[in-house]
Amino acid sequence: MAETINQNGRKGFLVDTSRCIGCRSCQVACKQWNKLEADKTTNTGGFENPRDLTPALYNRIRFIEKESSGEVTWQFFNERCMHCGDAGCMKVCPSPGALYRTKDGTVGFNKEKCISCKYCVSACPFNIPRYGADDKVSKCHLCPDRVAGGMAPACAKACPTQSLQFGNRADLIAKAQGAKKTLYGVNDLMGLGVVYAMDGPPGQYGLPAKPTIPASIFLWKDVIKPLGILGFWGSIGAVLLHYVTIGPKKIEEDASDDKGGSHE
Amino acid sequence: MSNYIERFSTSERVLHWIVTACFAILVLTGIGLYSTLFNGYFAIFGGGRNAILIHKIAGVVFFFTSIYMYLNHRKDVSTFDEDDRQWIEQRGGYLSRSARHFNIGKYNPGQKLFAIFIALATLVLGITGLFIWAPTEFPRGIVQLSLMLHGSVFVAAAMFMVVHVYLATIGNPGTLESMMYGDVRKRWAKHHHPKWYKELTGEKPEG
Repeated sequence: MAETINQNGRKGFLVDTSRCIGCRSCQVACKQWNKLEADKTTNTGGFENPRDLTPALYNRIRFIEKESSGEVTWQFFNERCMHCGDAGCMKVCPSPGALYRTKDGTVGFNKEKCISCKYCVSACPFNIPRYGADDKVSKCHLCPDRVAGGMAPACAKACPTQSLQFGNRADLIAKAQGAKKTLYGVNDLMGLGVVYAMDGPPGQYGLPAKPTIPASIFLWKDVIKPLGILGFWGSIGAVLLHYVTIGPKKIEEDASDDKGGSHE
Repeated sequence: MSNYIERFSTSERVLHWIVTACFAILVLTGIGLYSTLFNGYFAIFGGGRNAILIHKIAGVVFFFTSIYMYLNHRKDVSTFDEDDRQWIEQRGGYLSRSARHFNIGKYNPGQKLFAIFIALATLVLGITGLFIWAPTEFPRGIVQLSLMLHGSVFVAAAMFMVVHVYLATIGNPGTLESMMYGDVRKRWAKHHHPKWYKELTGEKPEG
């Protein structure tokens, strides 16, 4: 049921986690360009802030602190909408145009068309979409206004280490593969729009090793939905067929048959 | 002496049609959520947001009235006797033109199973509907499963409903009257529900 996607024309990110220094310029630049309010957060004793995506935070740096043999290592992970080639959110969205594929192959959203069902929240393999006080979907839309003008999205523009690189997806992947990087998201879900070059296994960054659309969602939209429509019309066909073949259970209208004490 | 005999009381009929109206509203508001093929149905309610709101309200009314309807008929629909077994074995005579006679009480096993199915479906749709109502308040796995179950049980209910409507109207002439005016013809009662007729009147239905 996935819509076809022009792989050659896709734009996307290559996120080289080893280059990220956790400065969070991407978070700030995104808020500034997209005019997103600041969230009030609480200090929980770590450097990670905020601790989760919010309706006003389209991308953030996840801080992964690890201790092995007395040595503490820090890893940084840019968390955002992955702009999946086969997007669970688009599969379930009942309001055409609320979540849509841009000509660059990314997943955009239109709050005016969102009907607040929140199906996308359940269908996202990465738990990304958020709903705010307006009860409308929000997530990284990859700055379509900037990209249309030939500019890089605000986050990539602000990244001082080129950890976040934006461009033609196929070119970015080819370049990273040439540099012998271990990549995540090249082919999963018909290719993620955000491909990661990682220092370790996906699980280390809190990512599924093999991201898929949740099984219940797949069953619901790709199996039950088409079979259900078939079943509904099938049952109408079946009763009509019964009517013209076997026919209704008629009661004898003949009055002489009436022996129950009633009279005409 | 009247040719008619009361099958459903006024309150039973009104309750049935409240449940029916809720079901129709739920289908019309929910079908656009089921597939974008039916997106146009949202327009009846002034857009998807309104349709969802009406779906929730109608869902609550449906849940309680449907469960109440089952509880009202619980005694009549939850037990099966030897005559019912015969009916089931011969599929109620619905698969053949030759006349068959079953000594059936107020409801035949098909009607009983339908009542039980609708009660169970109401429970599943109601509980899963609660999770879908506020998806961000519950664990994702539960909401995902609920969406799948809600869709599956809806499909099953819609298919059962087609059969229910057929059998209660053109499939069994004379049946619809029981849900309209409440009375059925005695001949209808003797033919379809002889045991019930006998209990009610004391007459031997076969004569």
